[in-house]
Amino acid sequence: MPNIQPIRSRYRFEVLSGDQVRAIQDATLEVLDQVGIHIPSPRALDVFAQNGAAIDAERQIVRLAPDLVRQALAQAPRSYTLAGRVPGTELYLDGAATYAGTDGCGTQTVDFDSGVQRPSCKDDVAKMARVSDYLSSVSFYWPMVSAQDFGPLAPLHELDAAFNNTVKHVQSETVMGQASARYAVRMAEVIAGDRARLRANPPFSMLICTIAPLAQDKEGIEAGMVYAEAGVPVGFMAMPNMGATAPAVPGGALVVGNAEVVAAMVLMQLVAPGAPVFYSLLASVMDPHTADYIVAIPEKYLCNAAAVQLAHDWGVPVLAGAFGMDAAEPATWELGRDSVYTALMVPLAGADMITGGGMLKASTLLVPEQLIYDDEIYHTHRVLLEGIETSAEALAVDVIQAVGPRGHYLGQRHTRRHLRDIWIPALTHPRPAAPDHAQTDIRCRAKAQLDRILAEHQPEPLERAAQDELRAILEAARQESGA
Amino acid sequence: MSDELYDKLCQSVVDGEPEEAAELAQMALDQGLDPLDCINRGLTPGIDRVGELFATGDYYLPDLIIGGDAMKAALAVLEPALTQGRERQIVARVVLGTVQGDLHEIGKTLVGTMLTANGFQVTDIGVDKPASEFVAAVKDSGSTLVGASALLTTTMLHQQDVIEALKEAGLRDKVKVMVGGAPITETWADKIGADGYAEDAISAVALAKKLVSG
Ligand code: B12
Repeated sequence: MPNIQPIRSRYRFEVLSGDQVRAIQDATLEVLDQVGIHIPSPRALDVFAQNGAAIDAERQIVRLAPDLVRQALAQAPRSYTLAGRVPGTELYLDGAATYAGTDGCGTQTVDFDSGVQRPSCKDDVAKMARVSDYLSSVSFYWPMVSAQDFGPLAPLHELDAAFNNTVKHVQSETVMGQASARYAVRMAEVIAGDRARLRANPPFSMLICTIAPLAQDKEGIEAGMVYAEAGVPVGFMAMPNMGATAPAVPGGALVVGNAEVVAAMVLMQLVAPGAPVFYSLLASVMDPHTADYIVAIPEKYLCNAAAVQLAHDWGVPVLAGAFGMDAAEPATWELGRDSVYTALMVPLAGADMITGGGMLKASTLLVPEQLIYDDEIYHTHRVLLEGIETSAEALAVDVIQAVGPRGHYLGQRHTRRHLRDIWIPALTHPRPAAPDHAQTDIRCRAKAQLDRILAEHQPEPLERAAQDELRAILEAARQESGA
Repeated sequence: MSDELYDKLCQSVVDGEPEEAAELAQMALDQGLDPLDCINRGLTPGIDRVGELFATGDYYLPDLIIGGDAMKAALAVLEPALTQGRERQIVARVVLGTVQGDLHEIGKTLVGTMLTANGFQVTDIGVDKPASEFVAAVKDSGSTLVGASALLTTTMLHQQDVIEALKEAGLRDKVKVMVGGAPITETWADKIGADGYAEDAISAVALAKKLVSG
């Protein structure tokens, strides 16, 4: 049975008041109506024009009236299901749970054996899919690094490695352009069984970045339309950076990012009414001296949580950022501090999905055992947010009576029953027989856990026929690209 | 009187006040001051001071960029008035852009700002630019240096296209090519036959200076 434990928060944390949400939405509608979005795609511009949007064809700017936006987004479903390739992997994006995924698209890997940093490759994507298949903190898998050994076909090979090595849902952030998107849809059809099942229980979804400020990427937005038509859930992520690609104020950054994501989601609804879409907005602050995107800073955590409210106000699921921090080294004070804020705030705010586990150096460096550390923080948060039970069994007055003053609870059946329910942090409290038990250094323990998973865990294999079909699709893509 | 005006010009750059800088430049010309003296004794010390304040961390990037804008605004007034033989010294002309398919803007822009602050004349062609546009810009501007930025493992291949296109245009021996961006390494730069790689904007300036002097 696939191992998935989502976070079900009892609390709801709201960064923005209702009036503040309205103020941001109104400002966004004003920007969409008055300033517009740069959309360098003839096909997208046509669709907008047919639906009554104001087009400046020469500058490739689309301006959207508030009514058009509201009507289009009213068609987007608030709830739908992401599936894996076996039963039991379903993720219900209905507001009741937060599902976590890995980080993705790194360019460097700390080698599994030598520990030396090197360019990433397809086998890294496969290995980390296997580790993710095992860990219950991971509900869906982003190919964690680029399959740089496959040149321009890397994105499709990342999917192949992912589908072959985990039964869990796969989400990509790299398969762009209409041609590649069509191949990805075919691969997803193979996994789902057929076209209808892909729609009903998509084992694959897509995340596409918008371009701050106020623009879309041609390849991204055109791929998005292909996915929306095929019923593959497609999300848009804005990354406005305060001071560089957005005003140096959180509110303004939210307006810029919100406008980008909303424009893209509107387009999807115009192309395929009712298409499952999701929302993502990761605003941060630029380093005032280097212009880098600062990954760990309070304004970002606030904006992440605010973005959850904005998405839900539009009536769509949201993917929020967690983990994926700046630090260059695992097991440091810096990483501990930062991971906790990002990963705790967004489930508290009610995010449907979160991503970011396993990566360092601002989502560029894969340190394989980092996923083990993040797993432990994730479960800490899961338990925190589940809160405290107060049923008769949970208050245990009968057991307290039975033991009375002094004595102990070690021999109680109630203890035996419930101690098992308590999640024990394994990195700091390993089991006696665990291979890492003798290790005192937390880094060695994490590495030992990783090595054990890689040595022992084999996900349910993809059927032979499906494997062959994926290979045939990759071959067709190779021939078409002339690579 | 003239010293006071040079100081004011200098200060308008340090304070990042483009309108004021242009007004002061016009005032200087009206008073019959030599435009080259205005540049060398007013603007240049101003932008040098901005650079120092940025280097010590007192200034943030917007201070640097708007300081550069003030300098440009004053230059726009002063340069047309320069007489033959008394032109402004520039280190070199450079064409800068982000390669085709790549929309990452900030790193490239920052490199351009730092080069400008260090006396280079920068033609920034923008993002998502095919190799042919780099070549055209080199021809138009008479640049001797090209900087190509790429932030994606899929677009870094196009840095090589820029080099090939320069070869085809018969310009490769006249210009030096430097490359940069998050996935770029020294090894990659060597592999595609670039003349240099720099990790950040500060080292990009050092690299550019080295390439044009040697
Ligand atoms: C901000 C950002 C964006 C913004 C860019 C906004 C804008 N208008 O510029 C947005 C959201 C639009 C974006 C989009 C995408 N991005 Co992006 N992005 C980043 C991020 C977080 C920071 C980049 C940045 O601005 N850094 C700050 C500047 C100052 O640093 P810099 O660019 O590295 O530049 C310095 C040096 O490299 C050097 N330098 C740079 N250029 C040059 C040139 C020369 C000549 C020299 C000498 C030096 C030099 O000097 C600069 C100054 O110090 C990086 C991650 C990272 N940490 O790099 C990802 C990252 C580059 N993006 C990534 C991806 C995947 C994408 C998308 C494909 C996502 C998607 N699914 O749609 C799209 C692609 C769009 C496109 N076609 O280009 C990946 C790339 C992975 C890979 N395998 O290649 C990264 C690494 C993040 C990740 N792991 O997912 N992105």
